[in-house]
Amino acid sequence: MAALTPAPAATARSTADSAPRRSPRTDSERLFNRVTLGTLLALALLWLAPLAWAVATSVRPPGELATDPTAWFSAHSTLANYREVLAAGRIPYWYVNSFVTSALTTLLTVCTASLAAFALSRLRFRHRRPVFLLILAGVMIPPQLLMVPHFLTLQVAGMLNTYWAVVLPQVPNVVAVFVFKQFFDGIPVELTDAARADGASWLRIYGQIVMPLSRPAVSAVTIFVFVWSWNNFLWPLLAVTDPQMMTLPVGLTSVQDAFGLPQAQLMASAVLGALPLLTVFLFFQRRIVEGIVGTGLK
Amino acid sequence: MSATAVPGAGAGAGAGPPAGAGAGVGAGAGAGSRTGAGSAGRGTRTPSARGGSAHTGRWTASGMLLPFGVFYVVFLLGPLVYTAVAGFFNGSLVKGGLGDWVGTANYAQALGSDEFWSSLGHTLWFTVLTTVPLILVALALALMTDRFSRGKWFFRLAFFAPFMLPSSVISLLFMWIYADEIGLAQGVAKALGADAPPSWLGDPDWAMISIAAATVWWTVGFNFVIYLAALQEIPREVHEAAAIDGAGPWQRLRLVVVPMLGRATTLVAVLQLVASLKVFDQIYMMTGGGPDDATRPSLLYVYQTGFTDGRAGYASTVALLLFVIILLISLVWFALIRHTEKEA
Amino acid sequence: MVRVQGRRRFLGAVGSLAATGALSGCGSVVGQALTGADGPSSLLNFWHPFTGGDGEQLVRMQSTYRRRHPATDLKSTTMVWGAPYYTKLTLATLGHRPPQVAIAHISRLPTLAASGLLRPVSRSEMDEHGLNAGHFEPAALRRARHEGEVYALPLDTHPFVLYYRTDVAEKAGLLDGEGRLTDVDGPEKFLDALRAAKEATGVWGGSVATVKDPAMCWRLWWTLYRQLGADLVRDGGRTVVMDVGAAEEALAYIRRLTAERLVPPNADGNGGAITLLTAGKAGFLMDGEWQLLAVQGALKGKFDMRTFPRIFHDAPYACAADSHAFVLPKAPSAEAQRTGRALDFVRAMLDASYDWTKGGHIPAWRPTARSAAYRRLEPQAHYADAADGAAYDPAAWYAGADSNLYRRFGDVVASVLGGHTRPGPGAARMRAAVTELARTEAPV
Repeated sequence: MAALTPAPAATARSTADSAPRRSPRTDSERLFNRVTLGTLLALALLWLAPLAWAVATSVRPPGELATDPTAWFSAHSTLANYREVLAAGRIPYWYVNSFVTSALTTLLTVCTASLAAFALSRLRFRHRRPVFLLILAGVMIPPQLLMVPHFLTLQVAGMLNTYWAVVLPQVPNVVAVFVFKQFFDGIPVELTDAARADGASWLRIYGQIVMPLSRPAVSAVTIFVFVWSWNNFLWPLLAVTDPQMMTLPVGLTSVQDAFGLPQAQLMASAVLGALPLLTVFLFFQRRIVEGIVGTGLK
Repeated sequence: MSATAVPGAGAGAGAGPPAGAGAGVGAGAGAGSRTGAGSAGRGTRTPSARGGSAHTGRWTASGMLLPFGVFYVVFLLGPLVYTAVAGFFNGSLVKGGLGDWVGTANYAQALGSDEFWSSLGHTLWFTVLTTVPLILVALALALMTDRFSRGKWFFRLAFFAPFMLPSSVISLLFMWIYADEIGLAQGVAKALGADAPPSWLGDPDWAMISIAAATVWWTVGFNFVIYLAALQEIPREVHEAAAIDGAGPWQRLRLVVVPMLGRATTLVAVLQLVASLKVFDQIYMMTGGGPDDATRPSLLYVYQTGFTDGRAGYASTVALLLFVIILLISLVWFALIRHTEKEA
Repeated sequence: MVRVQGRRRFLGAVGSLAATGALSGCGSVVGQALTGADGPSSLLNFWHPFTGGDGEQLVRMQSTYRRRHPATDLKSTTMVWGAPYYTKLTLATLGHRPPQVAIAHISRLPTLAASGLLRPVSRSEMDEHGLNAGHFEPAALRRARHEGEVYALPLDTHPFVLYYRTDVAEKAGLLDGEGRLTDVDGPEKFLDALRAAKEATGVWGGSVATVKDPAMCWRLWWTLYRQLGADLVRDGGRTVVMDVGAAEEALAYIRRLTAERLVPPNADGNGGAITLLTAGKAGFLMDGEWQLLAVQGALKGKFDMRTFPRIFHDAPYACAADSHAFVLPKAPSAEAQRTGRALDFVRAMLDASYDWTKGGHIPAWRPTARSAAYRRLEPQAHYADAADGAAYDPAAWYAGADSNLYRRFGDVVASVLGGHTRPGPGAARMRAAVTELARTEAPV
């Protein structure tokens, strides 16, 4: 997308979340507020219902599931389904695989993208503009459409069924370059000029001045790339076929260890699959949302 | 993947970039094939008068661009060129190599095949089914949430949390909810008085709608937080002024708030459109494209021809056609939105 | 600040937890995943798609194997069944990390072997592991060959059969003195039996899964079509020899089942058709024998099974069938291939295949098939001779289990069954579909 239109100057509101907002003045407004709140609460419950349903199913004994599938609560709640799923011994591996591949992807993306963005932002060289535009144009290439050449490339390289197969095609992230370049552009040029005058090399300026100042950008890119890579499905589905090496999203729906009426166990593994990012999200809710939306980053 | 500016990005709590430049930064990346992609935002930008001191050797610049450049060429540009070329050959996945030159035979076959067009139709149908509700529902939720100063975290949690989940968790969850006879959705439909609720994923007329509903549940949180952020950028004074002028809540909403969300809507609509056109994950897992291929989207067609049938050349043809179509649709769509925005 | 430190501590804890996990249990796997090294030579990876009742039988067979072969680390993986299974098997082999041994449908064998994805098993290797050719069901083993080499070791034959409720059949007067179904062979006789059963149940005569189940539609049509003596393709799928008249005749007969309101047109493949039988709303069920455990669980002794009726007499008896077979996907090296270990495992599974027959399958391992125990096993013994009439799918890259051909033809059958397409145009659509597939250049 060439949708790089400058945003309007934002009117910063100092404490967006915590300041009490307009208080209701009239009865009708108060009523309106109450109705809105009621609707919103109902919708929030509706949104949480599927997750609650998964949890409810996952703690029911399978036998009970057969007789009364749509009951929410069981008198005999059990963690047996979780034990069974974990005893199959696959999910721990998938956790590790997802973590390692996402971390590697994030690391490589942040390094390569920030370095390139630094050059585009600070260095003057011939064809800088065309190079920037060429990189930006890459945003229009959906990587999903490239699955056939990606597979063939990594097959020739003998890297399929290794972490590298999952990681490498995810590394060229044009948006990350763009984000870094925007941020670097905002760093006063005097800072780098002064260092340059002191005889520091560009690489040193990048590593010791610009990157340390850019923690907000690094954290935003890190969060986004990590989440995106953790949840990526189509490419890891093709790159890794060994059950031991699958990422969590691929493993969950490729391997089926349970027989009979496995819904309770399937829901247990779904809950386990949801757990890592949900936990992280609970702890870093605001930062993640900000990292993804791009407001008020620290 | 897409990058667009988000309105917003006030430097929160005084910890912006150095020297108080206040450059907000957003990260964004296409979130796989899920609908709801990333966004990038930036705010007040310090126009950097890039100094004349940057006398740089070409080698420094090349060296710094090289690592990214290698990945870019090997995994983005190169594969695109390969796809374009391979489309004219009859390459086979199991035999390897480009195969033999077949000219435009693959194109003739694709453009003349029902499967290509029907899968494209399903993709567009899915796009319509998801894009519209994803914008409207997100807007409604954000408008309602914005009225309350406390408890916002709870609504953000409720509406955004599903977006953090992998597509496979979503698929497992909704395959269970949509299950015939024993699923929650049929149970609810029966409780609401439907005698014979449809087989949500098994009925060709319903399957895509069911998948779209699950997708809306899953990804609406992304648009929701974008709208919420945009709403927070509307200065309090605007609300107050309108209230003093005697505008009721509805009027304020219609005449003051919604018009100020135009830019956020553009962003959300474009991202949503592009992401929906690339839908794959949840359909692959929930129906595998069935029943009777009634939910097979274009990307699944590429996957099936390329990897299940092993026809790498033909799959490349389809992928390239799809690339062109996505490009055209998003350009047209974008131009349209820009046009109406200007008129408004 | 306190919160930030709390977060840091939390992150640190998570980090060290992950690190500990990586170092202890998963360390070797992480290392392997980074370098692409093969696993230890004791490791035997086995893939199969059995998620139903037969999967539980397999678990039993495997635990016996594990007990007897402690030196082998058997890692058995149940992969989600269907075309995705074969896609995964293909990609794993192309990606140089296939399982050492896997289950494949023998109908998929021509494509897998021609693609160079499988390692053939030589006669001497077979003999060495006691897998003499003479021990296998000849029809199944014949299909396991490709260009003269054996690429698969058949485990079973699984035909399309007929289930019936004995109580309904008795009420309908269809049982002979020994409690067996009287003659239902022949187009009219089978319909008469269905009609009598319909009167007995008051709802339907029989049922067959046609919604969401193109494979079952294909089996029904293919059974009738083969009984008419017709063939579909030759020459590895490149030449169409379809008999449109026979196709139409088979479709017309299928249409009669629903047009005369003997069979519901909308029973689905997710258990709907079986439920009609088990709930007493149908007297007959046309299905694969692998539903045996599901039916048995619901009906205990109130049902029996037999080979699918001989509707047409134009050719030797035929019923749609396939075989599960063990294959050795081609590994990048002999160390990764572990042929000896894999063949030992295959032999052990075949020796234990009496357990396998409890899931309904007809053993392809003759020592089991001829054992007294199997011959006494009911109702398995009542349809064991279906293996003689096994009509396998045509050999073509677009045919075989859960293939494009299933989807295309199943669609037509379901449409005819539901009365949306007449048999004549239906047969024409089939011909068009198979012609298009045959014209498409084979990717193998």
